Amino acid sequence: MRMRKSAASTPARSAPGVIAVFTGADMAAEKIGVLPCSWQVKNKDGTPIAEPPHPVLAISKVRHVGDPVAVLVAETKPQARDAAERIASEWEVLPALASMEAALDAGAPLVHDEVPGNLCYDWHLGDEGAVDAAFAKACKVARLELFNNPLIPNAMEPRCAVGDYDAATGDYTLWTTSQNPHVIRLLKGAFVLNVPEHTLCVFAADVGGGFGSKIYHNAEEAIVTWAAGKLKRPVKWTADRTESFRSDMPGRDHVTQAKLALDDQGRFLALRVRTLANMGAYLSSFAPCVPPYLSATLLAGVYTTPAIYAELKAVFTNTGPVDAYRGAGRPEATLLLKRLVDIAAHEMGMDRVEIRRRNFIPKDACPYQTPAALQ
Amino acid sequence: MPKVSLTVNGKPVSVEVENRTLLVEMLREQLRLTGTHVGCDTSQCGACVVHVNGASVKSCTILAVQCEGTEVLTIEGLAAPDGTLHPMQEAFREYHALQCGFCTPGMVMSAIDLVQRNPQGLSDREIREGLEGNLCRCTGYHNIVRAIAAAQVVMHGKASELPRAAE
Repeated sequence: MRMRKSAASTPARSAPGVIAVFTGADMAAEKIGVLPCSWQVKNKDGTPIAEPPHPVLAISKVRHVGDPVAVLVAETKPQARDAAERIASEWEVLPALASMEAALDAGAPLVHDEVPGNLCYDWHLGDEGAVDAAFAKACKVARLELFNNPLIPNAMEPRCAVGDYDAATGDYTLWTTSQNPHVIRLLKGAFVLNVPEHTLCVFAADVGGGFGSKIYHNAEEAIVTWAAGKLKRPVKWTADRTESFRSDMPGRDHVTQAKLALDDQGRFLALRVRTLANMGAYLSSFAPCVPPYLSATLLAGVYTTPAIYAELKAVFTNTGPVDAYRGAGRPEATLLLKRLVDIAAHEMGMDRVEIRRRNFIPKDACPYQTPAALQ
Repeated sequence: MPKVSLTVNGKPVSVEVENRTLLVEMLREQLRLTGTHVGCDTSQCGACVVHVNGASVKSCTILAVQCEGTEVLTIEGLAAPDGTLHPMQEAFREYHALQCGFCTPGMVMSAIDLVQRNPQGLSDREIREGLEGNLCRCTGYHNIVRAIAAAQVVMHGKASELPRAAE
């Protein structure tokens, strides 16, 4: 959606108990940076991935449900809730992309004007020639199409952050429900708030459950820290359940086509995998690394498959930004392989256990270099 | 702001609330009884079930002011003052009827009301149907049903001790 009229021009500022209202434009005017993506991937041709800016608060265009547009600080939570209802910007609804296939269609609307075709990156791994040769002589090819659906993490305790600023020393303190306080201090200081790292202290006390959903640097952490400095008083934010459902980064969301070549004895000759991985509307801290480095590199599993080739397209859509969740990529690879091996066994009339026995990496071959793992 | 006076876990309390304050917000944020959980905000999951005048109620779906003069029982008020667990709590422990534990307070409170409303005893199927308003996202229903089936025997006075779970 495009903002026709900024949130700043609304009557929210004069509502009872309101201390301040900040919009994306306000933060950009103060030279607040964008949320960085901290793990880079290269395209097949060696060029860098598309990394469109991820503003802390959306500026002019909102790209997903849960994309924050304004921050309202009030004396009490009920006052904040009431006043937030007065933030009613005028919106122009733009076409939205809910699926990766639609996003890759020629002529699809662009999530980011600067990212042609909504393609974040196009990556591959392995020896395509060797895989093609193995398929050419295979007795049997097992095929699988798998949608590893997105999920919403929904931790036991929703995310929460408290920022504080000490005017005497110029130091900031953030208490946050984080799995990753050191990296958050680094990213927030160097890329978002542009303040030296030694002036930032980050405490992660009670995390409240994470499984990855509290491992990235989220906008709220930067916002409460910055707002505490601006207002010279502590600022606290706690997601309620609904906010958690809408603003926690979802996990998974891979659409995969795979095929396994076998000989007449059920031995694996080669594996070929094509995956579309949803990045959502922006790149979250670790999003790009999950499908290639944490998933494709595990495609050998525990088997001696001699040739593996994996192709991967990471796609921008209008869903929430996807990031690590419980295993982050590794369960996606494992599920794919387990299903594919079962299909192969079923179609060859073999026992599911026996087909695995014939393909296990033998004990005396370890340490074993698989064709997919990074060397 | 209106003041609501009620009994919570046997103790009289008076709390100033907003008109819109939900019972669960009053319990968790003002009385700091955080054993009652909020799992969905939408009256679906049942993690917030408490008893109001003995009946199980989703505390995210009732206003605090509607509880004026009532007796509210939360998970914190179930065990005896000496720490002896309620038979339903004991059964959940004995039968390992929890995994992550998030839904457990609501499960226990719903289960007690369900058993109390059915003195004739419940089949496993009836227990499952009776729990339709409580979701366990660990999908640990099997042991929850076993625990409730065991607890009802003690609660209805048909046994003095909880049947032990198989080794």
